[in-house]
Amino acid sequence: MTALLAATPAHLTVKIAYLSILPMLALLGGALVILVWSSLLRRPLETVWITSLTVLAATAALVLSLMQYFDVIHHGAHVAIDGAIVSDGFSAFVAVLVSAAVVVAALVGDGWLQQETIRGPEFHVLVLVSASGAMVMGAANDLIVVFLGLEILSIALYVLAAFNARRRQSGEAALKYFVLGGFSSAVFLYGIALVYGSTGTTNLPQIASYLAQNYVLHNGMLLAGLALLLVGFGFKAAAVPFHLWTPDVYQGSPSPVTGFMAAVAKVGAFAALLRVFVSSFGLLRADWQPAVWVIAVASLLLGASVALVQRDIKRMLAYSSINHAGFILLGLQAGSTKGVEGSLYYLFAYSFLALGSFAVISVVGGPGDGRHGLDRYRGLARRQPWLAGALALFLVAQAGIPPTTGFWAKLEVLQAAAGAHSYALAVIAMLSAVIAGFFYLRVVVLMYSPAGATGDGAATGTIVDTVEPARAVGDEGEPVGVAPGGEAGSGAVALLEADTGESAEPLVIPGTTGIALALCAGATVVLGIYPAWLTDFAHQATLLFHP
Amino acid sequence: MEDYLPIFVLLVLGILFASLSFVGSALLAPRKKPTSAKLAPYECGIIPDREPPQRFPVRFYLVAMIFIIFDIEIVFLYPFAVIYRQFLGAFGLVEVLVFAGVVLVSFVYLVSNGALSWGPARHLRPAQPERTSASTISRVGSGPGSGADRAA
Repeated sequence: MTALLAATPAHLTVKIAYLSILPMLALLGGALVILVWSSLLRRPLETVWITSLTVLAATAALVLSLMQYFDVIHHGAHVAIDGAIVSDGFSAFVAVLVSAAVVVAALVGDGWLQQETIRGPEFHVLVLVSASGAMVMGAANDLIVVFLGLEILSIALYVLAAFNARRRQSGEAALKYFVLGGFSSAVFLYGIALVYGSTGTTNLPQIASYLAQNYVLHNGMLLAGLALLLVGFGFKAAAVPFHLWTPDVYQGSPSPVTGFMAAVAKVGAFAALLRVFVSSFGLLRADWQPAVWVIAVASLLLGASVALVQRDIKRMLAYSSINHAGFILLGLQAGSTKGVEGSLYYLFAYSFLALGSFAVISVVGGPGDGRHGLDRYRGLARRQPWLAGALALFLVAQAGIPPTTGFWAKLEVLQAAAGAHSYALAVIAMLSAVIAGFFYLRVVVLMYSPAGATGDGAATGTIVDTVEPARAVGDEGEPVGVAPGGEAGSGAVALLEADTGESAEPLVIPGTTGIALALCAGATVVLGIYPAWLTDFAHQATLLFHP
Repeated sequence: MEDYLPIFVLLVLGILFASLSFVGSALLAPRKKPTSAKLAPYECGIIPDREPPQRFPVRFYLVAMIFIIFDIEIVFLYPFAVIYRQFLGAFGLVEVLVFAGVVLVSFVYLVSNGALSWGPARHLRPAQPERTSASTISRVGSGPGSGADRAA
């Protein structure tokens, strides 16, 4: 043992460039401060303080990552900490996106915690820790560091999924997510092992240079490793053959957590996926592009078509997030700088759309966060014009209608696909966008149709068949009221009455959720009207991609 | 490829062992239906006179968490102590202090959540003061979405 130690003294103390990991340290430091502060107090810390501290930490991380970005622009990209972390435009973009998402998620979470009268620092601490994991994935320069980031991201998310201890579905979602997430982590780790076995390194640039200098004759092990990495990332990003956990987990988790999961977990997974595949395995493009093509097509079509028949808005958005994953894969499949740029732009746009949509859902879900049937959205515009307007905006943007970020995001990835001559994929993507547009706009129409208009032909007829509502009431998880004669036969009547009963009950929008919604809506519209800001940012990020 | 032969052989042996175990136990096991004595929980040979407790305090999990925290700390502290003088120096000391600080934070959090208080149960989260039996009953009786309304 002593001989071994004596042989490698130089590597024991690595110079740590703290500047390049400052955004992550800001998030983690914020989490620790909140935890200590709330532990040392005799009475539970007010949620207001926790939220303010979280927003402060996330804003600090945002400023630090912007500083990092300008540092990279002026002094070029560089690796730090013995090649484990890279500080380039790509990592700065991801850090900016993640910290902005944390600001929004903390505000939405605050509103939800007040609504549910849950106290304690755990929600915000876990959000901060999880987000730091996503940042690590964006800045990782080594497969092991990617894995570390993945675990930091996921373990906090497993707990967050189970956060609503009063709902059984929440625990169920967490267990499913935990089992499948742990399984996918193992697959991912095995992929790393196989790649290490065939290239002799886990360092991303070293893998690239190994592949550039050597021709791997028997590349079975390398390709198997690559496939396992793709499977591992596919699980986290909810791409199709690996998407089975998504609807259940998105439905069962508390709504703000679902929004955070849809935004930040996807960002982390796709950031690492893009970096690993495009920069390290770029030379094996011809080998992985067909696989990504199949996954993208499956995600696009299945996500869009299964979302059509969902009656629960959280399930519907879960399938829509699968559809979005397909779109983001379009950029990866192109395998070009333009493709990475499009994917980054898409991630940025989608994160705020997801956070915003699930913020609205957590308000409409009401106390208990259990009522998410599509019927609950009928006539929402009359009761809550602002809330309905915000959700309409987010849904329209997700459908890809022009003056929003959603349109530019789809345009960017489609341009990248066309630039890489994947015309068939681009056509399939556009087809799926048309299908997806239907179920987004259906909810919008439902919100703006008069309340209680059951069986009203063309506009809402697709959702409301008067036989089904009995099931819809049952699905809501808790009895809506004591319906006289609750047999299946009077189900339709019960629903009608439940509807009028619910419309009398006022929906309270917590102030913090309102701020979060304004932020998301602002980002969606302003960046949609001035797309150049974000496209330039994404473009710069990819220019400084290769360290 | 020859290098993989032992792995392949091991794989085949593993599959064979697992499948033969299943087949063997299916063939050899006595086919008697489970009796009530067989299904009863085993308590060192004593005939149980009551059902085993279904629930036990969640505190045991907190104790286990405390154990894991310090376990992990020791796992890192021990190798640190071995090579500290030779290689690490002041940098290593600072790093390990930061690490110990982070571990301490989780311990403080656990203690503040009552992991070490073994007295009578203390409610950390106050029950909702606005929900008394009177308010709940009156709400059930006269709320807008209540059964009385609907029947009318």
